[in-house]
Amino acid sequence: MHRARLSRCLSKACRARNERATADVTEGGRGPEVDQREQERTDGAQKLTSEGQAEASRAPETGVRVEARGLSRHFGSHVALEGLDLQIEKGQAFGLLGANGAGKTTFIRLVTGVLLPSSGELTVDGHSPATEPAEVRQRLGYVAETSRIYPDLRVRSFLRFAGGARDLVGSGLEAAVERVIERFHLEEVAGRWIGQLSKGFQQRVSLAQAFLHDPPLLIVDEPTSGLDPLQQKEVRDVLRALRGNHTLILCTHDLSEARELTERAAILHKGRLVTEGPTQEVLGGNDPLALFRGEAAA
Amino acid sequence: MTRIGSFTRIGALMKKELAVLFGSPLAYLVLTLVVLVAGLIFFDHLRAYNQILFLFQSSTMGGFETDTIPDHVNLRDTVFFPVMENLGLTLIAVIPMITMRVFAEERSRGTDELLVTTRLSPNEIVLGKFAVTYFFVVIAMLASFVYPAMAILQGGVGLQHLLAVFTGLTLLALALASIGLVCSAWTSSQLIAVVASWAIGYVLWDWSWITPFLREAESVARFLDGISMHPRYSTFAEGIVNLANLAYFVGVSIVAYALARSALDWKRIAG
Repeated sequence: MHRARLSRCLSKACRARNERATADVTEGGRGPEVDQREQERTDGAQKLTSEGQAEASRAPETGVRVEARGLSRHFGSHVALEGLDLQIEKGQAFGLLGANGAGKTTFIRLVTGVLLPSSGELTVDGHSPATEPAEVRQRLGYVAETSRIYPDLRVRSFLRFAGGARDLVGSGLEAAVERVIERFHLEEVAGRWIGQLSKGFQQRVSLAQAFLHDPPLLIVDEPTSGLDPLQQKEVRDVLRALRGNHTLILCTHDLSEARELTERAAILHKGRLVTEGPTQEVLGGNDPLALFRGEAAA
Repeated sequence: MTRIGSFTRIGALMKKELAVLFGSPLAYLVLTLVVLVAGLIFFDHLRAYNQILFLFQSSTMGGFETDTIPDHVNLRDTVFFPVMENLGLTLIAVIPMITMRVFAEERSRGTDELLVTTRLSPNEIVLGKFAVTYFFVVIAMLASFVYPAMAILQGGVGLQHLLAVFTGLTLLALALASIGLVCSAWTSSQLIAVVASWAIGYVLWDWSWITPFLREAESVARFLDGISMHPRYSTFAEGIVNLANLAYFVGVSIVAYALARSALDWKRIAG
């Protein structure tokens, strides 16, 4: 039942993005055609249940390509990232692994444009987060390490703000807010203060804000940190369902999470790439923890 | 979905800022404090004025030589000007309590990363936050201005004077708010932000006391006099709207805006 709802929502979201891309090219405002399209989308989504997943896997690869070449970031004398070469393909679920201080969060901050690189190149769909942050952020949904959201806002108000800050407005904004509320099962807490919610719900709100504009690139930093096993399962179900439709960069030090959710993975140690490849291969060795300690793969 | 412009994004941010501001008791506490302190200052001076009047009248009835009230004992000079003076000093203490959290709280909570990963540009973020703070400051000034306005109207000062005084008071408050916002933008500690705002506010308040000691360094004296807020604010209090003084307060806000904006850029560079 739960899985079916997720599948339905995902199919809805995929269709929405494709249609939106067409709408952006053909018209600047909202017209009767848009309403009709939305109606069709809703009708279509209602027909889809478990077949949504299958359709998603058949759909052409969506998402964006992320490429880093010789990427470095220093904080004074501290080297957070050094000469990183990495390619994350469209629609790929990519795990970024490593111990604390390995450089995972620094890489994510560089991709999101929160930080500027010290040297090297980084592109998201051909755009540099350093020089074209607006282009990158248009394609980006970011869920930070801890639920970094406003405790003194109500869930719905926060989602309205997050949508407005991402160029959603009017009925489009309201529809997007309702969509993510339904998608992340936030109906019962939509009117409550975020600060009063459990950590699990806060994480769901954090995920929901990243999905408002249905971005092709989703970056999730330690999504299940501090959650109980049930909440962890819920979040992982959501992320698993995204595979193929979005480029997903999952930053984690939980090996089982990486195995479960990602196709490829890279392990960082003290800012350097230790190994990179299909997740099962990277983590399939006798002692994957040795990689966390910076011991290169045999 | 419709593509919208910068104004709508700023609008979304302003709504959020207003919800956060008025969702916490701090805004109401500060408003109450401003009105209370303004009232206390006003009634204290009014009481002193009444005592002086009473003394003069008693003396007259008692047959002393003083049978007239001197010219300078009037509502304008005995109540209004001192009230405005003290109100200016009070603003230096009170306004940073509102501005301290605006940027610093985002940094300490880590929500600044959420902000900058939306489509809001750094300019839009700073503009939205400045606009909401200015809005709050104007509300606070309107609330606190009831007493000075009474003193002016009762003291026989005209509407033009009243407007000039209100303009001066508001510009001073906005300049202080801008300084507070800069301090907040450059730190993640609200305590540092508030103390730094107080320090800068009081340092910039009045350097005219030092000019007699700087006869041999006239340019320094002129500079210190030029950056002082108090002489410019006093001109407004006298009912004179001077373009140079207007430019000074607007200039403080523009410089503050640029510095706050550069704090966001600096964070991308320094981390």
